[in-house]
Amino acid sequence: MVGAKSHKVLIFALMAGILAFFYMPIISLMVFSFNDSRSLTSWSGFSLQWYEALFKNREMMMAITTTLSIALMSTFVATILGTLAAIGVSKSKRLVKELVLSVNNFPILNPEIVTAIGLMLLYSSLNIQKGYLTMLLAHIIFSTPYVILSVLPKLRRLDPDIAEAALDLGATPLEALWKVIVPMILPGIISGALIAFTMSFDDFVISYFVSGNGVKNISILVYTMSKRINPTINALSTILVVIITAVLLIVNLYPMLNKKKELKEAE
Amino acid sequence: MKGYASLVKPYIVWMSLFIVVPMLLIVLYAFTTSGNELISFRFTLDNFFRFFDPVFIKVLIKSLEVALITTILCIIIGYPIAYIIANASEKSQTLLILLITLPMWINMLVRTYAWISILSDGGLLNSLLEFIGLPPMKLMYTDFAVMLGMVYNFLPFMIISIYTVLAKLDKALIHASHDLGANPLQTFLRVVLPLSLPGVISGITLVFLPAVSTFVIPKFLGGGQYMLIGNLIENQFITVGEWNFGSAISLIMAFIIMASMMMTRKMDRDASENTGNEGGKLW
Amino acid sequence: MKKLSMLILVLVFILTGCNSNEKTLKVFNWGVYIDETLIEEFEEEYGVRVVYDTFDSNESMYTKLMSGEVYDVLVPSDYMVQRLIDENLLQPLDKSVVNMANVMPHVMNQSFDPNNQYSAPYFWGNVGIIYDTTQVDEADLTGWDVLLNTKFKGNVYFYDSERDAFMVALKALGYSANSKDDAELQAAFDWLTQLNSTMDPIYVTDDVIDNMIAGNKALAIVYSGDAAYILDENEDMGYFVPEQGTNVWVDSFVIPANAENPEMANAWIEFMLSEDAQTRNTLEVGYTTVHQGVWEAMIAEDGDYAGNTAYEVRLGNPNDEIFMYDEVLKVKMADLWLKVKAQ
Repeated sequence: MVGAKSHKVLIFALMAGILAFFYMPIISLMVFSFNDSRSLTSWSGFSLQWYEALFKNREMMMAITTTLSIALMSTFVATILGTLAAIGVSKSKRLVKELVLSVNNFPILNPEIVTAIGLMLLYSSLNIQKGYLTMLLAHIIFSTPYVILSVLPKLRRLDPDIAEAALDLGATPLEALWKVIVPMILPGIISGALIAFTMSFDDFVISYFVSGNGVKNISILVYTMSKRINPTINALSTILVVIITAVLLIVNLYPMLNKKKELKEAE
Repeated sequence: MKGYASLVKPYIVWMSLFIVVPMLLIVLYAFTTSGNELISFRFTLDNFFRFFDPVFIKVLIKSLEVALITTILCIIIGYPIAYIIANASEKSQTLLILLITLPMWINMLVRTYAWISILSDGGLLNSLLEFIGLPPMKLMYTDFAVMLGMVYNFLPFMIISIYTVLAKLDKALIHASHDLGANPLQTFLRVVLPLSLPGVISGITLVFLPAVSTFVIPKFLGGGQYMLIGNLIENQFITVGEWNFGSAISLIMAFIIMASMMMTRKMDRDASENTGNEGGKLW
Repeated sequence: MKKLSMLILVLVFILTGCNSNEKTLKVFNWGVYIDETLIEEFEEEYGVRVVYDTFDSNESMYTKLMSGEVYDVLVPSDYMVQRLIDENLLQPLDKSVVNMANVMPHVMNQSFDPNNQYSAPYFWGNVGIIYDTTQVDEADLTGWDVLLNTKFKGNVYFYDSERDAFMVALKALGYSANSKDDAELQAAFDWLTQLNSTMDPIYVTDDVIDNMIAGNKALAIVYSGDAAYILDENEDMGYFVPEQGTNVWVDSFVIPANAENPEMANAWIEFMLSEDAQTRNTLEVGYTTVHQGVWEAMIAEDGDYAGNTAYEVRLGNPNDEIFMYDEVLKVKMADLWLKVKAQ
């Protein structure tokens, strides 16, 4: 079985290679955030000075709060708007449905830069001063289509009779919506919200074109600071990586832990 | 029940104002000239003619080339990886997918920025070369750097797209193929590969489109002379201030992308028809 | 669920309400062009909130203005000041607040703003070549055409700025940097194209600074302020300004006509012209100060920039010119520069 063994070695090497490729920049980023000198290539010793500098840097702290607040708020609004729109679409006539979904696809199919300049032209024509609100609005605009696409499949699989049954039993349309429909499509809503959050948190191109007034998110900050060597960016990035890793681990381990709990209780 | 349909009305208004109008504005700016005031303008095709200059056409072709090469590289590297993961044990699969997707969650600019220090003279890669005994190479601001950055950013999307379809593949089909006497290679070429095509096509759309229009990666890793069509558009809107010309370029680019999307859609439909598989959608 | 939505509504109110309550001063300046501790000091002293935004080229600053952004203070270069004045986009400075008595006389009263009605100088300098003394001999430094010397192929950083690029080409050919002559511009375009194809230059902006400190290439076109900083950090570097002439530039504070807080804007400018602010800024940024007293202190024997050939901007060369603005020229140059790079 020599063939099988060399096969396995090859597979292992390939996977290891790819993972090394993916993680080398991230690890390098994290390592040099602790560098004692202002270099990203030669190590001089351990220091937390860049983390200190990060927390003292007003611009960077503001960028972090901006990114977070916009992500949270845009996710909230996009989720509600998108869910309601999806419910409406699923009950609409075929023509309306197709039209709405086609237009809804524009922000998804269009390159980001096209969406970005479209919005920039819109704000400019309406003489709206660019700033926090324009960025927030833009994030809601490009997130909502993804929420709709997340929720719609769940709606399609929904039994149409259940909502009718609720109405027959005396529920108001609002109650039927809130207590019957929404819980059944909740997985779609949640995944839509997650996508919206990620897209907003990570966004660069659209934010870059529609922000102004000194309002910056993390991506714009990294973009403007990248021309000079600035390990404070490394410090910020390291914190982001740690938080994201922690969240992903929790999200993935939670169901496993739950299962273990259930198994224990079943005994 | 009919009441619920009216829930879509607010969104229709929303879309008209925030999706349709911006698109129309781009078209308007592309076909007019006058600067950035909406009040005075005249219709013209000048902006488009201006683009048909050999220099700009070269930029367009280069962008398409770079995007195409990136996509092909992502398929060549991504397919085997997706295949390996799909055939691993279930526990390993979850772990491996987690490891592959984690970088995707990290801000794209941060990930690209990380490569600058690695590729610079005196950076990690050059130190590695010196360690092996090879002479140091100029890696930053080259085609290689940009391609590396592109593949790095888009590979996870390709892997996930292909993996999603491969993982759903009915193992019974593979067993049946073996039972009927096909060797592993034949099974792969004639059963697995065609069935996985929708995933590949889905991956292509996820990679090619952003690769054509990206401007951050060339800007960070390629230097000012690395001009792709995204850089051209950004330059026109942010630096030069010629919004009319910029809009025309955007329309041309959007048109080309839409044409290639329709082609891949057709390929997707053909592939699905042949295999009865639903397209490898991500959600 | 209801409590959550209440909380979020409150959050929204707080975030949107916050901005309109305080008095704000909006400053639009070059990136990495100030000692940031001064911003907080100004805020405390005058009780305003400073919104500090940055740009990386005169052109993108102008485009941002045209897209509807409103600022109280801008810091454009000479020719851009001229353009803004020509287009009636500036308001005069309040001379009762802004005192320019300490500004070096040869930086004042330039052609773009005689009598300094609209502008107060901030930093000044010229454009030159920073070179690695271990790779480049004095003999090689014949003029701007050292950049065409194939001995340094693949070893050159060129500044990604259309005006500076054409200035270098025009000066190398013996023409004026403000030439509007089509034949001369075409010759300059050809010069740049030749450089692009034979020398494999890398077009950079601010990243040239850290790259040259690391000694990654032999030659680079830089602003004198960046050169001063590089010379400070890397002993092997030298600064060369060709006899053929170069561009002498001045970056100045101006107040847009539509500024919302002109009173505070004038206060800011006066604050930045003080000896303390000028000292701290020039030490932090490396660019040459306009304050006479600070200048003398810096280049004195025990000064921080003693012997720094880039900091002491050359005066008296008749070939050194300041940029003028011309609308037609601007469009031509922008287009040509794009073509040089895209090849």
